[in-house]
Amino acid sequence: MIRAYHVTKRYGDVHALRDVTVKLGKGEFCYVTGPSGAGKTTMLKMLYGAVQPTEGKLLVGGVDVSKLSRRRLPYLRRNIGIVFQDFKLIPTRTVGENVGLALEVLGSSRDLIDRRVNAVLNIVGLPGRGSEYPPTLSGGEQQRVAVARAIVNDPSILLADEPTGNLDGAMAIEVMEILRAINLRGTTVMVATHDTGLMNRFPFRKLRFEAGRLVES
Amino acid sequence: MPQRLQHVIRRALRSLWENAYLNSVSAGVIAATTLLFGVYLSVQFNLNRMVDTWDRDVHVSAYFHPDVPEQRRFDVRDQIAQRQDVLKVRYVSTDEANRWMQQRMPAMEGILDELGSETLPASLEISLTPSSAKPGQIDDFARTLSVTDFSDVDYGQEWIEKFQGFLSLLKLLGAIMGSLILVAAMFLVMNTVYLVVYNRKDELEIQKLVGATDGYITAPFLVEGLIQGLIGSTFALLGLAAVHRLLVARLKDAFELAVTAELMFLPSMYIAALFIAGAILGVGASLLAVYRFLSKVN
Repeated sequence: MIRAYHVTKRYGDVHALRDVTVKLGKGEFCYVTGPSGAGKTTMLKMLYGAVQPTEGKLLVGGVDVSKLSRRRLPYLRRNIGIVFQDFKLIPTRTVGENVGLALEVLGSSRDLIDRRVNAVLNIVGLPGRGSEYPPTLSGGEQQRVAVARAIVNDPSILLADEPTGNLDGAMAIEVMEILRAINLRGTTVMVATHDTGLMNRFPFRKLRFEAGRLVES
Repeated sequence: MPQRLQHVIRRALRSLWENAYLNSVSAGVIAATTLLFGVYLSVQFNLNRMVDTWDRDVHVSAYFHPDVPEQRRFDVRDQIAQRQDVLKVRYVSTDEANRWMQQRMPAMEGILDELGSETLPASLEISLTPSSAKPGQIDDFARTLSVTDFSDVDYGQEWIEKFQGFLSLLKLLGAIMGSLILVAAMFLVMNTVYLVVYNRKDELEIQKLVGATDGYITAPFLVEGLIQGLIGSTFALLGLAAVHRLLVARLKDAFELAVTAELMFLPSMYIAALFIAGAILGVGASLLAVYRFLSKVN
């Protein structure tokens, strides 16, 4: 599902990633871990095309991201769900509208959007909360809304950048259980985190970065 | 209506409502610009109309030598009347010319009496066909009149030609000023729209992250720009109508001139041009603003 061959990313003279080669299969769950500034977020950003490798080749779902044009980028992202530490929800839109956004950009019908939104809100444990606004929800609930938005169009890859970073222990575990449940449905899940407690509780493959180098995979 | 279009319009209306203040500013700038454009169009339209009217009214006055016998004058009149480029010819005798002068300028009566009845020469008032009453052609016509019969030929065309030269200059200046105003307005509206875009920065970035194309993001802003442009043009048109009404009333009071009745409001084609200008301004500025934003977002 994801293949990186000697991928390097430089910002001027600074190496964010150095010569990373890694493979991730379909339906796999893995952590991207390491200290701050190790290159975790850069790795994830490259996977959803926000930055391009300086050197090397990166294939995501068979698409060569290193050569992807700006015009083709939205089509890659429609196959990838993304969850962020700060949730990135639109505060002036309802939960339902936030979740339905990923289907709206595809031009899906209102009926389909409503059905899918209700279904994924059930999956993340927020049934019937579609008409509420994000600022009225707790942090854990907001993150579950973000997860619902990431999976509403049934992507084959789910990327989560520190998804539990803003949550307390119990809420973090809830979110991880949802991510695990999504993974069990066949979605490849990649979670960037440095929370060792969480990694021990949910033990999966680890891609450990240090100073831009992949030191454990 | 296709679902996508419905969706785009719904998003545009929502954004117009949510950013009502900034959108009003954009529409206001468009209104001010199209009003200026409308004033320019009005001035140009009415001046062109005036020149056209004068052109149609142009006639040639040909003054006979005093020693040309009366019968010869009638023969010349009949010959000229038969020409294809002549609409009508009227013979004005010396007596008739004197009477006309005395009626128009009663104060000159004594002077005219002292100078004698032959002061004003007999003349022919020649009206040309509309196709012949064009600059240059009147010159040619005047040159065909016999110098042995006429002492002077007058047709006021020189003045009209000078005025037409002035109109051409006005058009050129208008085009230059109009372009500068349009660029300045486009810049102003673009920056105002950019504020709206920037206000929704997080939302647009999220749209990009979930796979929205640039077209999906841009389309509602273009609809917003179109609506702003049309609203702005409507206000400009109302402003122009008010200015026109006021101007006609003031000129009428001040001069009691019939010319004020001839000051016409813009015809429908010019009004359409005004709306098109407003729409182009709104849509163009929105397009530039969104393009500027999207070029910075991945």
